[in-house]
Amino acid sequence: VNDLPLAAELRAHPELSDRPVIVASGPGPRAEIVAISPEAASRGVRRPGSVAHARAICPEICVRTTSPAVESAARAALLDAALSCTPRAVPIPPCAGAYAAEAAVLLDASGITALFRSEAGFAAALCARTRALGLPGNVAVASSRSVAHLAARALRPEGPDAVHVLSPAAETAFLAPLPIDLLDPDDALAEALTRFGVRRVGQLLALPRRALGLRLGPRVLELIARIRGGATEPPLPVPCGLRLVEAIDLEAPVDRLEPLAFALQGLLSRLRDRLAARRLACGDLTISLALEGGGRDARRVGVAAPTLDLRVLVRLLCHALEARPPTAPVESVELETEGRAVREGQLDLFRPAGPAPAVLSRTLAELESLCGRGRVGAPRIADDHREGAFELGPFQPVPRTAPQPAAGGAVRTPAVRALRPPVRAQVRVSRDRPEAIRSAVANGSVVHVAGPWRTTGGWWSRDERFAYDCFDVETSDGTVARLRFDHLRKTWHIDAVYD
Amino acid sequence: VFRSPTDAVRSLPAIESLLRDLGPQLRRGGTSVDPGALLPTGIGTFDDLLRGGFPRGALSEIAGPFSSGRTSLALALLARTTSTEGIAAVIDGADAFDPISAASAGVDLDRVLWARAPRLRETLRCAERVLEAHGFALVLLDLAGADPRIAPATWPRLSRAAAATGTALVVLSAQRMTGTAAALALETAPAQARFTGTPAVLEELEIRVSLVRHRTAPEARGVCVRLPASRAA
Repeated sequence: VNDLPLAAELRAHPELSDRPVIVASGPGPRAEIVAISPEAASRGVRRPGSVAHARAICPEICVRTTSPAVESAARAALLDAALSCTPRAVPIPPCAGAYAAEAAVLLDASGITALFRSEAGFAAALCARTRALGLPGNVAVASSRSVAHLAARALRPEGPDAVHVLSPAAETAFLAPLPIDLLDPDDALAEALTRFGVRRVGQLLALPRRALGLRLGPRVLELIARIRGGATEPPLPVPCGLRLVEAIDLEAPVDRLEPLAFALQGLLSRLRDRLAARRLACGDLTISLALEGGGRDARRVGVAAPTLDLRVLVRLLCHALEARPPTAPVESVELETEGRAVREGQLDLFRPAGPAPAVLSRTLAELESLCGRGRVGAPRIADDHREGAFELGPFQPVPRTAPQPAAGGAVRTPAVRALRPPVRAQVRVSRDRPEAIRSAVANGSVVHVAGPWRTTGGWWSRDERFAYDCFDVETSDGTVARLRFDHLRKTWHIDAVYD
Repeated sequence: VFRSPTDAVRSLPAIESLLRDLGPQLRRGGTSVDPGALLPTGIGTFDDLLRGGFPRGALSEIAGPFSSGRTSLALALLARTTSTEGIAAVIDGADAFDPISAASAGVDLDRVLWARAPRLRETLRCAERVLEAHGFALVLLDLAGADPRIAPATWPRLSRAAAATGTALVVLSAQRMTGTAAALALETAPAQARFTGTPAVLEELEIRVSLVRHRTAPEARGVCVRLPASRAA
């Protein structure tokens, strides 16, 4: 990618793709222009220049400021596009000088024809995947890394010229007419070559190497080695990290959730495209918010099942932010996730009819983000003497092994409706039995009473011990409730209602 | 794989026998729920009142005060559904679901998804998410302790979601709140609680159930339902 600052901004803001855009080195009218979109260039905006200068030429121009976070994400996206084709790819570190705005990735294409039929097919697929991630990339295939890199620099980003496959025999002929600046020599060497009248790669190759070395030093020999593909090239490492980061600097601090959700949707959309390119799904998310005034707010949002469903991911983040809103307006957002392998679900004939496993996992994750951790699952009866003790286990419906009850064998029983927490009651007692109740649930004189049933336990622990007398009572207002006397605290509560 | 029509004909008895053995575990894959499908509770008089049961793909409401039997009716429906139809969800806005009581009512707890939502807003959102998941036979939305002034647009939205997924959505409330979005609405009231024996024990709750809205049977009717404290066939 030749012009990364512009490509990164257009990737983060695709709505600007058909508008004249410049990228400036900083805020304010005096900032230098770093990159110019083709639309802006067609209206006469040129480098070098300032933002004020560009606005004078083209008043409707859109000005973006360089963002290291956005550029870093774009570089990572370029690597993702490469890793979608081959596991052996490595980014070229950013360089200074004329090609500082360049982002490049080297791929090991040996044996790639087994996957893509031909090297041309591989190059075209790689170019298409790069563009699918919002980056206008050039792809060149050559017999050595340095020649491929030089060839990719020489290509135009638009149209069929963006892809070129060089056969070893044609490499020298391809490179010969290219300008020597493509090699990015340092200033002293460039000046010396200009003095010698060497402006093209072919002219440099025509000169005797030994004599050039004696006059211009070892740096010129390094240049020649790069052109001939003879430079030392250590083996490419196999990247193993699956950590993906996307970030955006907001134009103005945002203090409401709705516009923040809009920005999050864009970030997640780009993250999803990168994950999809690598056949991965989104795992747990870490969201870092840079707040106005210098504060930071980082939180981890669990994703129960790896997913690429954008709507679900946006909802999960919004629930997390709604539950605990940021304490100050947000200036920038960074999202990080760990790519996870996508789980394929296979429906089972003998499993109870229900949602597909992946959908169920997503739904459970959403419910947990709404209700809180430990408040969603399959109910279980706890092995405990306390009234109404229960547990929540994972919800995993399994095939039934025991025979089902016969149709029509309904179980009718008055159900208990739990009151959590129990409702405090004022009780008038006569001969150790409740006679009248006043509470938020049941009021009036006690018409019928059954009990008491004494329950004690936890005597070995000061905090957990309990001793209750429970009564079933019907009050004059028609309510049938379970009344509880706490012997330790000498208080009355209604902990359930028959309903 | 049958190599010839004769093979297929010879295998028919074996296939029929297999289908008989599998019984209700078999279901048709990839087909939508029959729009007229009903979820019965297994309580004869009550199902007769409903003309078969609670409709799938529609919103129903059971409204009543404490001890009016609405939770018992809902658990009977839940028990029947989890034993025959598949899985169900309880979206518990009142945090009132009692697993012990549900298990004694015959509910298969392994087939119940229980979401204990902290506030009304989250409760309604949970219901929407579960309905969107496609595949739950029944969603029980307990709003018995909630403020009845819920935005009116909520109910048509939930009703549409239930219709799209073929899920029976049953709302429990203290007083009617779903309005005309409900295909079926019931009002329950306590009739009598029987305490018998020495020492006395709660033997039976008797409740009155009134059908106040039914899309296909508009006339209002009512029945008394007895809920004994022991299992009855």
